[in-house]
Amino acid sequence: MDFLANLSLGFSVALTPFNLLMAVCGVVMGILIGALPGIGPPSGVALLLPLTFGMDPTSGIIMLAALYAGTMYGGTITSVLINTPGESASVVTCIDGYQMALQGRAGAALGIAAIGSFIAGTVGVVLLMLVSPVLARWSLAFGPPETFALLLLGLTTVTLLTGDSPVKGYISMVLGLMLAMVGFDIISGEPRYAFGVPELMDGIDFLPVAIGLFGIGEVLVGAEIAAGAAIIEARYGWRDIMPTAQDWLRSRWAIVRGTVVGFLVGVLPGAGPTVATFMSYAVEKRVSKDPAQFGRGAIEGVAAPESANNAAATAAMVPMLTLGIPGSATTAIMLGGLMMWGLRPGPMLFQKNPEFVWGLIASQYIANVMLLILSTLFIPLFVRALRIPYGILMPLIIVFCVTGAYSLKNNVFDVYQMIAFGVVGYAMKKLGYSPAALVLALVLGPLTERALRQSLIISDSGAAIFFMRPIAAVLMLAAIVAVLVPTLRGVAAFRRRRERPAEGAG
Amino acid sequence: MRSADRIAGAALLVLAVAFSAGALKNYAYWGENGPGPAFLPFWLGLVMALLATMLLVGALRSRDPGEAWLPRGEGLGRLVLVIGATVAFVALLGVLGMTIATVLFLLFLVRFLDRQPWLLSISVALAVAALNYLVFAYWLRVPLPVGPFGF
Repeated sequence: MDFLANLSLGFSVALTPFNLLMAVCGVVMGILIGALPGIGPPSGVALLLPLTFGMDPTSGIIMLAALYAGTMYGGTITSVLINTPGESASVVTCIDGYQMALQGRAGAALGIAAIGSFIAGTVGVVLLMLVSPVLARWSLAFGPPETFALLLLGLTTVTLLTGDSPVKGYISMVLGLMLAMVGFDIISGEPRYAFGVPELMDGIDFLPVAIGLFGIGEVLVGAEIAAGAAIIEARYGWRDIMPTAQDWLRSRWAIVRGTVVGFLVGVLPGAGPTVATFMSYAVEKRVSKDPAQFGRGAIEGVAAPESANNAAATAAMVPMLTLGIPGSATTAIMLGGLMMWGLRPGPMLFQKNPEFVWGLIASQYIANVMLLILSTLFIPLFVRALRIPYGILMPLIIVFCVTGAYSLKNNVFDVYQMIAFGVVGYAMKKLGYSPAALVLALVLGPLTERALRQSLIISDSGAAIFFMRPIAAVLMLAAIVAVLVPTLRGVAAFRRRRERPAEGAG
Repeated sequence: MRSADRIAGAALLVLAVAFSAGALKNYAYWGENGPGPAFLPFWLGLVMALLATMLLVGALRSRDPGEAWLPRGEGLGRLVLVIGATVAFVALLGVLGMTIATVLFLLFLVRFLDRQPWLLSISVALAVAALNYLVFAYWLRVPLPVGPFGF
């Protein structure tokens, strides 16, 4: 009965008029940000974070979490109608969603995505509500060695996100940790790598870095392309978007499987919604009786990944809230926000700030209902937003990036820093590095260093302390496996590449 | 991309060595009862050196030049122009204030880079500057830079 009392506390927080308004704003902006190509959930959260500084942290997180849920659906609209993903978690949806649109079934694709998102999101919140307190209680027993091992696991799994080159993923991650070393040392108070620049002594703030890497970086990738893409015309009446009986029969289990895969992947630190969509699509293809239909407008190919990304977006909150370790790039930025608001994410959050945690959980239920309503009734409105020329949208995003970076500490140094990281982000994206891994490492860097040094201070056997305590040892082994798997895969791919030209010659 | 990987690998290797050496030279590796401020930076530098070497060796052995990653011609021009305009925008903040600088920046990109009609360009510039002022300066009370006219 404990959690019923907590939940009613949560709803009493989430249902205040201002917080309801924040949830609506979050969902609407989320759908827009998700739908507009060239700006995705991490940039959306980074850009809106400055807006929350003046607010109560609970209202702030309600808006950001609603926005995150909204982007997962918004990206679908672009994938289906333009065949360009609005954000990375909708890449897979392009495959069958666009084919459905070509067959005149754009409405049905968006409809099943909305319904799948609602079911997956709601189940996700229920699981979030049940799992988090247990995990938080369990992790109360964590000392510095366990915390370090967990952070290490989070840092190593994030590189699973970067597709073909694990080396570039790890470079991005270590670069983030190196940037985190700049500024006052947490234990001795000595300034490191500041070169006498006063702005660097306080360390490198993650917010200008995140706004630059994601916001400006994505805008610059889009800047070289001048022409806009063609939008498929479709009808969005009630009949057009409601799935037919046959659609429903085909996609109901796909939604269930998508939800399960999405939640499991989302809970893992480091692996977020994007990974979840790829996995759930692969699962659908494998269990399908007729795999040849995939890629030709199979509704399961839309229903499963779209359910998976919403479940994963919710699940990514579990490690963030309970362990203080983000499950995705977007939650990494939220985590940074939590620390800025003066909250310490982790097990104590549930005891010290119940109205924050439960307000957030309750608001996620509300956000899912709003998402369903908005995404079924107002599709034409969001489609119109896609008609804004990129040449207008791009400078507009830059203006908000500049103002957002400035408003953090009211100084121009942060803004130049943001632009510099924008250029870095552009290069990283074009060259196959992972901006997400860099930001995650920058946010986790100080926590990791503290846990590492505290562990070694209390240890009388050096680094062996990480392998002598059972929980820490399991987590360390998992981290080692996470490093080894992509490396071995990379070696295998390298061998294959070397053998292939020989075959071609023969 | 191969040459970009070579350059990045070499640059990161130099950075990594300097990072580790700088840590050992300027900060204490071991404190009174545990690792000091140089401890983690030193090891991070070593790991980065290893990764950079892997990248460099891979790129040096590769025979496939890969696709060009920087755009050429018009694309590159647009890219440089957008970055330049953004830097100029920030440099003008202190002189003209946020509102006027925003209007000029938007007019430049929307009218001259994207060739939208004058009326649309001006409306977009004014509307965005007003919205930006309303949200940040009025609602959130951020002291945005002001120009000679007080906004």
